[in-house]
Amino acid sequence: MVLVTVRLPPGATLADAMERLGLAEEEVDTGYGLVLIDPDQGLYGLRVTEEAGHRTGPPFSDPRIEPFGPEPR
Amino acid sequence: MRVLIQLRPSPDLVAAVTDPGRSATTADVADGLPGVMLDPSFTPVAVPRPVPPAGGDPLSLNQPLDFSMAAEEASVLVRGEISDDELTTRLALLPTLRPDVVGVFADPVIEPNLTCGGDAPVGDWRDVERLLGTSALHAEGLDGSGVALAVLDTGINAAHVARHLGRGVNLDAERSWNPSGVQGRPGEFEVDHGTMCAFDTLIAAPQASLIDIPVLLSSRMGGSALDGLLSDAVAAFAHLRTLLEAQPAESRSLVISNSWGSFSPRWDFPPGHPGNYSDNAAHPFNLVVASLDSAGADVLFAAGNCGRECKDGRCAYPDRPIGGANSHPRVLSIGGVDTEGERVGYSSQGPGRLATRKPDLCAYTHFSGSKAFGDGEPDSGTSAACPVAAGLVAAIRTQWPAARLSPGQLRSLLRRTADDRSDVGYDFDYGYGVVDPAGVLAALRRRAKRVA
Repeated sequence: MVLVTVRLPPGATLADAMERLGLAEEEVDTGYGLVLIDPDQGLYGLRVTEEAGHRTGPPFSDPRIEPFGPEPR
Repeated sequence: MRVLIQLRPSPDLVAAVTDPGRSATTADVADGLPGVMLDPSFTPVAVPRPVPPAGGDPLSLNQPLDFSMAAEEASVLVRGEISDDELTTRLALLPTLRPDVVGVFADPVIEPNLTCGGDAPVGDWRDVERLLGTSALHAEGLDGSGVALAVLDTGINAAHVARHLGRGVNLDAERSWNPSGVQGRPGEFEVDHGTMCAFDTLIAAPQASLIDIPVLLSSRMGGSALDGLLSDAVAAFAHLRTLLEAQPAESRSLVISNSWGSFSPRWDFPPGHPGNYSDNAAHPFNLVVASLDSAGADVLFAAGNCGRECKDGRCAYPDRPIGGANSHPRVLSIGGVDTEGERVGYSSQGPGRLATRKPDLCAYTHFSGSKAFGDGEPDSGTSAACPVAAGLVAAIRTQWPAARLSPGQLRSLLRRTADDRSDVGYDFDYGYGVVDPAGVLAALRRRAKRVA
């Protein structure tokens, strides 16, 4: 899956974002929901399938992150 | 960068260098090289000229050669240092400005004994406490009291931390947060990497309130047992911003310690793609980091364990391993030194991908501390250095909330007071140097006096 962003008014919901971007429920990680990225710009983020990301894009990568501790043995 | 500069001065000077009965100095040979800090302690060394046999290839070293020390043919080496951020320009311009410059070569540190992964601990956390001057910090009331310190990692085991520190731990369960799908209660996670990080934050800031955010225990599609997805960190930072904004503006403070990153470009879009993370300030996570800084949070990231001398086997970036938020201009990117003040060989070197001057600073790592990985195993990686530095930041915040000293001002202060480990300021190994709490305290006292 990938991340996409959308500008919405304050207090927006995941349903608002899906409607704005024309997304079906099966294209969205509903468990992740809608995350406010930058309140000053009204910028929100959500996780969608790669196909939906390319359609509504630009799609942003969602890379794996790992601890910078001792190397696993 | 330390360099050797090869010059072809006048035959008289070359003769003076080659003659053991005479003494020519670096200043005699190379005075006035622009942008080069010459090392006057280095005695110039004559370099013979390779001479091919008659009819031989004048450009090839792969043939029988004679070597001439004749004053008209030999050259001379001097030693110096060029600032890392001017290196490319200087290398291009020096031979045009000074025709006697034949070449400029790297002069790498010959130091095979840097601490590497798998090595035994170098000192213990009491040494770190001493090096951080915690008694002086605490005597001035800088112990983290009332300061929220978020550890984004694999979750904290507070009982383990308390047992090994020998004192109580303030865990703020109410403000802690799990990514969607992650089970477990704040402060009750299995002893692992996050427990080590929590322990290390409390060396300098024993009274800080820990906020437990197990962002590396992702259960989302694409994650695995001990890693996470960046989207969980996006959500975690959004949660932290709501906590920060709920605090009164005049006493607002939140320190965020991040000992993680991305080892491989495999999971990212390539640089230049509009959705790329590593090199793209417009990626949602890099935006949310900037927004936390604007709201008054201090964000610290480990520089990574991809140092050239003994990198982690997972490192897959061919160069410039400090990328994404670990190289964000509005965070402190923390490299690692051992308790003897030497950079550990695995600590990633700059330049960074989003901001060039990364790492910013170094802090202590590879010491016996939390024993989260077993007795005899060090708290290691830049993973340990980052929370050590975060603890220092939290200690400072006890009396210097963001309204009094903005995150940007605090970053500048830490950089300015760092114990510089090179001769000419910033370098890509140590950044501005090793954190120096005594210097920070002195600067804060001056600032308090000025403001009063």
